[in-house]
Amino acid sequence: MVRLKDLRPTATLAESKFSLLQSPYFISNIRILGILVLLVIGFGVLAPGFISVASLQSILVSTALFLLLALGETFVIISGGIDLSIGSMLAMSGMVSGVFMSRYYNNGSGTTIALLGLIIALVVGLIGGMLNGVVIAKLRLNPLIVTLGTMGIFEGIAELISNGLPISNFPPFLFVLGNGGWGIPWLLWFTIAAVLFYGLLLAKTRFGRYIYAYGASKDAVVRAGVNTTIHATWLYGLAGLAAGLAGYLSAAHFETASPVAGSQYLLIAVAAAVIGGTTLQGGEGTIWGTVIGALIISVLQNGFVMIGLASFWQLVAVGVMVIVAVFFNELQRRTRIASAGRTADYKAQRKPFGRAG
Amino acid sequence: MEGNAIFQVENVTKSYGGIHALNHVSAIFGEGLTAIIGDNGAGKSTFMKILSGVTKPDDGKFFLKGQPVHITSPVEARRLGIESLYQDLALADTLNVYANMFLGRELVRRIAGVPLLDERRMARLAAETLEQVRINIPSVHTMVRNLSGGQRQAVALARAIHFNASVLLLDEPTAALGPKETDSFNRIIMGLVQGGKTVIMVTHNIPQMMDMANRVIIMRAGNIVAEVRPQDVTQEDVMAFMVGSRTLITD
Repeated sequence: MVRLKDLRPTATLAESKFSLLQSPYFISNIRILGILVLLVIGFGVLAPGFISVASLQSILVSTALFLLLALGETFVIISGGIDLSIGSMLAMSGMVSGVFMSRYYNNGSGTTIALLGLIIALVVGLIGGMLNGVVIAKLRLNPLIVTLGTMGIFEGIAELISNGLPISNFPPFLFVLGNGGWGIPWLLWFTIAAVLFYGLLLAKTRFGRYIYAYGASKDAVVRAGVNTTIHATWLYGLAGLAAGLAGYLSAAHFETASPVAGSQYLLIAVAAAVIGGTTLQGGEGTIWGTVIGALIISVLQNGFVMIGLASFWQLVAVGVMVIVAVFFNELQRRTRIASAGRTADYKAQRKPFGRAG
Repeated sequence: MEGNAIFQVENVTKSYGGIHALNHVSAIFGEGLTAIIGDNGAGKSTFMKILSGVTKPDDGKFFLKGQPVHITSPVEARRLGIESLYQDLALADTLNVYANMFLGRELVRRIAGVPLLDERRMARLAAETLEQVRINIPSVHTMVRNLSGGQRQAVALARAIHFNASVLLLDEPTAALGPKETDSFNRIIMGLVQGGKTVIMVTHNIPQMMDMANRVIIMRAGNIVAEVRPQDVTQEDVMAFMVGSRTLITD
């Protein structure tokens, strides 16, 4: 019997060395990054003020809120699911937190109240998301249907606690968080921290690995001994957590919490994930791809404004981008299946997997 | 029986509603290859699912190397050194070779107290295992969906043997393979058998098992109807046990 320690490095062992280039998403991320750069250059040529610190900062700030939703949505889509409730979750978290802050703020900067408001928004988002996860995993229901239901429930709660009216009596410290900054706006610091957290969780932890595996084959994950109910609960919980943060930052940035705050973000968040290479079949995608996808959408939105095109063209352009992205994903998948079939047949005839043979 | 008893089951029973899928089944598995054959509905797959912890029996006892054990889940089975290779392979297509091999048992290293995946170590160890059993995969970084059927099978097998299991459960492992890939797969299995593993394989391929197996268990209608050594019987005898025109012989 060959012992592991007696083995000398071979071709396969040499191949085992790890590098960034071996990531299956490296090329696709470079490709969409190229599209982003081309768009920035294009708009820069068409609208001279487009490439400026103020303009780029405005793009980043306008990206932040829906990017936060897109982070959680990316997790869910990679796992083979979908979460339609994150927009309502944003509204509900912002409203619950907003009601708390406006009720308990008296005077001064209200730092403590504002920070407690953050915790409340995060907890509301987390619990709402976990509720989605438990129902989906425990009752084995379709995520689309469950989150369609909770989308209405969360929006209803947001309307109920405020009688359908926006709230705006917040502590001044909240405005500092939403619009002030340290070099760059606080809003972006929060978003960068969330991107790093979600990116690390997805790419470098067991939890993230099971998200991919679950999207590719639920059976594989179950047989690997992963508790899929707990995993799904945390997975949807994290999507809710990001929506909770987005709800809080939305209230901070716009200086008001509205029961319909997140309604326009849901589809853009899904679009950011899809343009960024996350496939709706599950099992594939990256946070970095979603970040680039979100930036592409923001660049289109801001660029169209700067070159003077009517705002509805932004919607058309984003819609076209999503369809093109899905088309290319599908094209790649079909090509891969066709070539894998041919390669498999060829290799099976030429040389099966046994080196001894 | 070949060699010492490694894995033993006693009076394993499983019913689905009023149907007895397994009826007080007892068996002793020693080192070497034991083939389980039987017609559709004979209870082979139920038996394997119970051995691998996927299905809980209504009743029955398990002994591993003489010690009583409780196989309550696939995780527990693996912890005991019982690895399974499923008919559908249970691979995650969008993960690469080593991620599949370590799925559920990922290696981590702590950075500032945070457990992060140790990709390099998993890749190296996976490559070493593939080398050890002489399985040729282009790279351990290859996504499993880009592999041929035989290579995918090999990855599933490498996963099962990487963790040094003493008992290997194979449920129709070559059902989806062509003749050449089946030959290669069988060579690997025989290498493992010669290395002292206990391999239990469900199959429909009777001629193949007559060549390879040390012992053949024949099941019918939820019962073990015969346990034979291939050299003591003909294929016709085995078929007769399967369809019920001959009953109960043991070695």
